[in-house]
Amino acid sequence: MLSEGKRFHILSVFIIPVLFLLSLSAGCSPANKSNAKTTITIWHWMTDREPAFQELAKRYEAQTGIKVNFELYAPSDIYSQKVRAAAQGANLPDIFGILGEKRDFASFVKAGYVLALEPYMEENSASWKNDFFPEALAVNEFAQGNSYAVTPGIYAVPIDIMTIQMLYNKDLFKQLGLNPDRPPRTFVELLDIGKKISSTNRGGSAMDYGGKAANMQGMVSGWGDIWMIDCFANNYALNIMGKDKVIATIKGQVPYTDPDWIKVFALFKQMQDSGVFARGLVTMINKTAEQLFANDKAVFAFNGSWGVNVYHGMNPKLNYGVMLPPKASDIYPMAIWGGAGSSFMVNARSKNKEEAVKFLRWLTDRDQQAYLVEATNNLPANKNCLSLAPELLAQFSKGMDNATHPNAWEVWEASTVIEARDKGIQSIIIGEKTPEQVASEVQKVKVRELAKKR
Amino acid sequence: MRAAIYYKIKKSTINTLIHLFLISVTVICLYPLLWMVSSSLKTQETVFKDFSLIPHQLHLNNYVLAWQEGGFGRCFLNSIFYTATVVVGIVIIASLAAYAFSRLKFPGKNVLFIMFIAAMMIPIPGSFVALYVLLNKLHLRNTPVGYILAMINVGLSVSIFLLKTFFDKMPKELEDAARMDGCSKLGIWWHVALPLAKPVLAVVVVFNTLAVWNEYILALIIFDSRQFMPLQVAIKLFQGEFVTNYPLLMAGLTIAALPVIIVYLVMQKYIVKGVTSGAIYG
Repeated sequence: MLSEGKRFHILSVFIIPVLFLLSLSAGCSPANKSNAKTTITIWHWMTDREPAFQELAKRYEAQTGIKVNFELYAPSDIYSQKVRAAAQGANLPDIFGILGEKRDFASFVKAGYVLALEPYMEENSASWKNDFFPEALAVNEFAQGNSYAVTPGIYAVPIDIMTIQMLYNKDLFKQLGLNPDRPPRTFVELLDIGKKISSTNRGGSAMDYGGKAANMQGMVSGWGDIWMIDCFANNYALNIMGKDKVIATIKGQVPYTDPDWIKVFALFKQMQDSGVFARGLVTMINKTAEQLFANDKAVFAFNGSWGVNVYHGMNPKLNYGVMLPPKASDIYPMAIWGGAGSSFMVNARSKNKEEAVKFLRWLTDRDQQAYLVEATNNLPANKNCLSLAPELLAQFSKGMDNATHPNAWEVWEASTVIEARDKGIQSIIIGEKTPEQVASEVQKVKVRELAKKR
Repeated sequence: MRAAIYYKIKKSTINTLIHLFLISVTVICLYPLLWMVSSSLKTQETVFKDFSLIPHQLHLNNYVLAWQEGGFGRCFLNSIFYTATVVVGIVIIASLAAYAFSRLKFPGKNVLFIMFIAAMMIPIPGSFVALYVLLNKLHLRNTPVGYILAMINVGLSVSIFLLKTFFDKMPKELEDAARMDGCSKLGIWWHVALPLAKPVLAVVVVFNTLAVWNEYILALIIFDSRQFMPLQVAIKLFQGEFVTNYPLLMAGLTIAALPVIIVYLVMQKYIVKGVTSGAIYG
């Protein structure tokens, strides 16, 4: 019988060297075996699209003999760090995606990591360019005189598009005595529905709806992440004052204390007072919002077209429709955020860049886009295959006519101003501040930012 | 007699209250684990509808699907390999370094020790890009050796701190006795210091096992090849930007939690001893 000390000694003598030798041998073996065939490597973060991408890679190899390696790295925030680190170490793959704000994209372009795609897009009378929704390309484009000082042009290929709109639960509409095929079109109609939801929850009319409607929530959304509040506020800012005035505000030519901005902030107070908003909306994360809407607990949701997949997973029987946020003004059209959902860039330093561009062109062709719609339930970037999208996605796609995105504008608002604006809106919703107070506070931050720029 | 009854009632009341408190703490600690196991046996739809801990229908197939779709086989072995190698590396290097810091006299000792302690203050994500560039220059990026060395480095500072604190309190007479028996400095470290430090080593082993087993960020950044990825990276594949496959994610987490629970149970005696004998300071 060996003593404990001897056992420990024997274990250490044998196991430690074996483990280290194993690790060294693993480390010394080549990471990637050389392959005579051209191989295009693509880094992405889209877990839900991985099987579809792998299938398309197989098809491409069968057609052209070129191997395509889709390499998935999730979650997306770590993927972003990986791309940054790879750029520093000159290890970017042939094709990759850049997540984050447009200024991040611009910094990659300026550093020479991203291939300009304008010449390829313009070939054959711009046949490739014309396949896409203009809004989807706009997000990947730097216009003449852009504030990022990037050489004008298109630098990425949109794979799919998204729009962020309002959704309404048709079954709850029926229970509220509303026409499920006629969502509210004006802000006043929306407020009326909010009042109906409130009175139902007070118990007054719950009996009229068989008791089922009691405790239903109003609008749910991931407003715990302030960018979604920003999106909603921007929609109404564009509707009330138009894009030019919004841009003028960003440039510092119009103050946030302008009556139109106060009107935008006041809308949130009206919605809160009428009962349109769900309880706890300001701190709600999108997963909770999606869960409430999918389980028939909320009448409205403010969410992106990705929600079609999410709701289907949570409750395939959910009966809902898509609508534009009801307009608060007739002067300008209602605008929503939309454009490229996911985009791929080509590594300008890759030896396979020509092959990479050819592959992206193939990937965004009608057949491959149609397959992606079918397999992933995402809106296609190629406008020629929109007719193949299922009904709910088609409803989302109708919003593309009203779509815009700050990433497609030539100027961008300072993040401190956006934060002050969105936190101010949260304060209005919880009754802490008035719209006028918020407008004045946001303007103070804006003035500070403008002074910094000077 | 009355006083005896009074004290008996008082004692049983206090005991009941303490037990109620401990039961509630246990429930709070165990509930997330139970929810994880319960959700791993549901479908994507019922996760959001059926809130009971015991599902109406058990979908054991989720475990098979998670294993197959996540490619857990290879990742599981990778994780075991990384955890074992890194923990062994940390134990050897940290115990040698801590012993040296505690017992040897050499120039710059305090400065070096402070540098190690300062490394504890640097958040790991802050060093990722620098680490990536360094490993790239050493041609160790996308290799298990690079990852293992980086992870050993990550775990060293806390381990050295814990072990040095223990060695500082160790009676010098034991070493003198060993020296008189003919032990060299290395012999004293091996025959005297290490056996005495078993409770602290258990704490070091458990803390680092947990850290390496649960690590995925550095792995995701420095590895390009799927064949080198640890288990936690495979689990993350069920968590999409918008859509998360909760049953498979929870099944994967349950599979990943099992080895750690086993390590903890096996080393529980030493950990309690380590904690109660003052192995952990600060």
